[in-house]
Amino acid sequence: MDGGWQHLDYFAFVALFCIGLYVVLAKSNLVKKLLGLNIMETSVFAFIVTSGMVDGGTAPVVGPGIDAPFASPLPHALILTGIVVAVSITALALALIVEIKRQCGTIEADELKGAE
Amino acid sequence: MRRLLTALALAIVGAVMLAGLAGLPRPGDPAAPVHTHVAAHIVAHGVEDTGSRNLVTAVLLAYRAYDTFGEVVVIFAALAAVMVVLAPAAAPPPGKTAPPPSPAPAVAPSPVVGFVIRLLAPFIAAFAALVLWHGEALPGGGFQAGVILGALLVLLSVVMGRGLEQPLVPAAAARWLQAAGPLAFAAAMLIGLAGAGAVLGLPAEPAWGRHAVLLLLELGIGLGGAAIILGLYLQMRGH
Amino acid sequence: MEHLLPLAAALPLVAAALLPAVAWRRPDAAWGWAVAVGAGLLGIVGLLLRRLLQDGPFSYAVGGWAPPWGIELRFDALSAFSLGIALVGVAVLVFSGRYAQAAVPPQRRAWYYSLLLVNLGGLVGFACAADLFNLFVCMELVSVSSYALVAAGGGRIAALAAFKYLVAGAVSSLLVLFAVGILHALTGSLNMADVALRLADVEARGPVLLALGALTAGFMVKAALFPLHLWLPDAHASAPSPVSAVLSALVVKLGVLGLARVLPLFAGLDWLVLAPLHEGLAWLGAIAIVAGALAALLQEDLKLMLAYSTVSNIGYIVLGLGLATPLAMTGGLVHVFYHALIKATLFLAAGAIIHQAGFRTLRDLRGVGRAMPWTGVALSLGVLAIVGLPPTAGFLGKWYLLLGALEAGRPGFAVALLAGALLIFVYYLRILNAFYFRAPLREQILAVREAPLSMLLPVMALALLCLLGGLFGSGPVALAALAAARLAGGG
Repeated sequence: MDGGWQHLDYFAFVALFCIGLYVVLAKSNLVKKLLGLNIMETSVFAFIVTSGMVDGGTAPVVGPGIDAPFASPLPHALILTGIVVAVSITALALALIVEIKRQCGTIEADELKGAE
Repeated sequence: MRRLLTALALAIVGAVMLAGLAGLPRPGDPAAPVHTHVAAHIVAHGVEDTGSRNLVTAVLLAYRAYDTFGEVVVIFAALAAVMVVLAPAAAPPPGKTAPPPSPAPAVAPSPVVGFVIRLLAPFIAAFAALVLWHGEALPGGGFQAGVILGALLVLLSVVMGRGLEQPLVPAAAARWLQAAGPLAFAAAMLIGLAGAGAVLGLPAEPAWGRHAVLLLLELGIGLGGAAIILGLYLQMRGH
Repeated sequence: MEHLLPLAAALPLVAAALLPAVAWRRPDAAWGWAVAVGAGLLGIVGLLLRRLLQDGPFSYAVGGWAPPWGIELRFDALSAFSLGIALVGVAVLVFSGRYAQAAVPPQRRAWYYSLLLVNLGGLVGFACAADLFNLFVCMELVSVSSYALVAAGGGRIAALAAFKYLVAGAVSSLLVLFAVGILHALTGSLNMADVALRLADVEARGPVLLALGALTAGFMVKAALFPLHLWLPDAHASAPSPVSAVLSALVVKLGVLGLARVLPLFAGLDWLVLAPLHEGLAWLGAIAIVAGALAALLQEDLKLMLAYSTVSNIGYIVLGLGLATPLAMTGGLVHVFYHALIKATLFLAAGAIIHQAGFRTLRDLRGVGRAMPWTGVALSLGVLAIVGLPPTAGFLGKWYLLLGALEAGRPGFAVALLAGALLIFVYYLRILNAFYFRAPLREQILAVREAPLSMLLPVMALALLCLLGGLFGSGPVALAALAAARLAGGG
């Protein structure tokens, strides 16, 4: 419980999360913002799946010749749902970007501000 | 300057998150609450409770089936959302002439690609069926199968040059297929009500009832997912 | 009978998926189908509410899997907001019939109704969720449909506003999911009651604080609490009016309800003092009241004005939660329900006016009140209610908040509250003044006809509820007091 190298996985998650957030905040191109959002989503999914792993564990599929320990099945199921939600949001965001491009002729946030 | 400030703010956010996360149980620790509470129950009783050897499937389609129902409606909502944003508006916005819906660029794929994809199509479809069928026993299931099948349909649409005007799946049938996921769950709700006394319960009788319900759900998720992926592709292709 | 609880959310969700197929051959059927489903939802919620009043809160284990192994649904005093969801939902669906013909292109209409039903189903599911991840899933159902509905009418500002809304909403959803992940890692459970129980034994403080912070921040964005409200005005003002009504009346409440659901999780920790959080919420609420009202005062656009008024009213609700005395929380929670009715009345009446007149700024709309007398009456009733004049629906919430602020010994907040009410009074006077007492700037206004019956009826029904809500307010107040007691008592 002392932090340090044991939590290396979580550190990677924080780094990914911050990179994604930076892209969302700092980039002007709407597609890039969407990519940043996806990076953030992926990082949270990775965090939750990581929290469910176990030392020397296998996938939670029970069968002859497969022994515990199993990784917790719960985070896997949750993240499957999470991924579907993320895909849905990405599809909608892409559609909106197409519509914005069609209506305003640009997808740069800076230029859009001037166009309004 | 603005970027510097953003980076600074993010550094603070990152530091706060790191400080918070350092107190979590070590990932992989078998004694962590993640493994000793609900997960332990599912590992111990999942197969017996649900008849599914793949415990992730057991969680998705039995213990937390209600969440998965919400999930398939989210996918459906994504389709509805894309349609509501991109379906052609009849009247162009005032002061601006909307360009006519441009026909899809008629880039004929090379005959080699077309041939290979047509050759592979039955095998890809069979693989999707395998992934779906074995979702109870192996890693896989309805969602994965739906994605494979959907990708196949998209590939075939590209190769055969099928657009919105002449879709691979007739539009009227596609509407019903796109609702397949929520429909399968609605059926499972009624079956559970009749057979297990609880909405989305698994019937104890007959012996094959549980498998039938799980398979029905996988099929609904798979077919519905594939139909929605195809619908999304067709709608976006015009642009 | 007991199985109605999971079906309350499932009915609109399944019906939403079927709607495009049903409406494929007969596009006119979409509206009838949606209204019928809305009426069914209202019926189910009515039955659930009757059971709540008779037997108290009740739970349902979906699939027969006992919590915490499976998903638990729970209908308690906070879930009673479902009544507001169903009432506003039916009104909006009925209203959409004529409105969508003009505002939503024909090829999009079936999908528009479908998304409205998804939205309502998600909201009801959210109100009844007793499981953290189920809460997240329902929130995403609401969010995805809301982002898209903003852009349903077309137009460049709507598409931009929808994208902005999407980015803010998606980041806040991620924060909530992140917090759910932490809580799951700490307790191994997702059922809220179980998490609260097991959280009390957790020794590590860092993760608990991080989860609390992420949940608060996430739900604050969803609730558009000042200063995280920047996505709201454009989205609510540029959406089709029925959608604005749903967003402003119901969807922003998701953040408030979410906060009210998750804060009790942390009440069992004896080392954790929630007072600073409450203090912060109260301050933000008070600032939001005044800032939102001031911003509304500066608007010329009718719908932007109403949108900023929502920012202000969310301030009232959050102030109530932040003051954390039983009376103040009762006031805040009662206002959650009544503000839904009032804001829906206002947005629908504004929608009817804009639809009939074709203008949307106060200058252009001068004199429209005389051309549309019935809609004008409904709008005026809504205005009286949102200002909080007795005996209208808006009075109760503010009255209890005022009492609560005094009870907490914080007269400063009481002053902010009254100042907000005064500002609201001024900017709604501007609306009434423009509509009734100014000579029309546009001559077309004189030729404007009263709204058709299918638009007028839902607006009048909601306006009547606003008027009578104050007179028959004992029921909602009793429920809010129950919910407040549970919030204060924790767990």
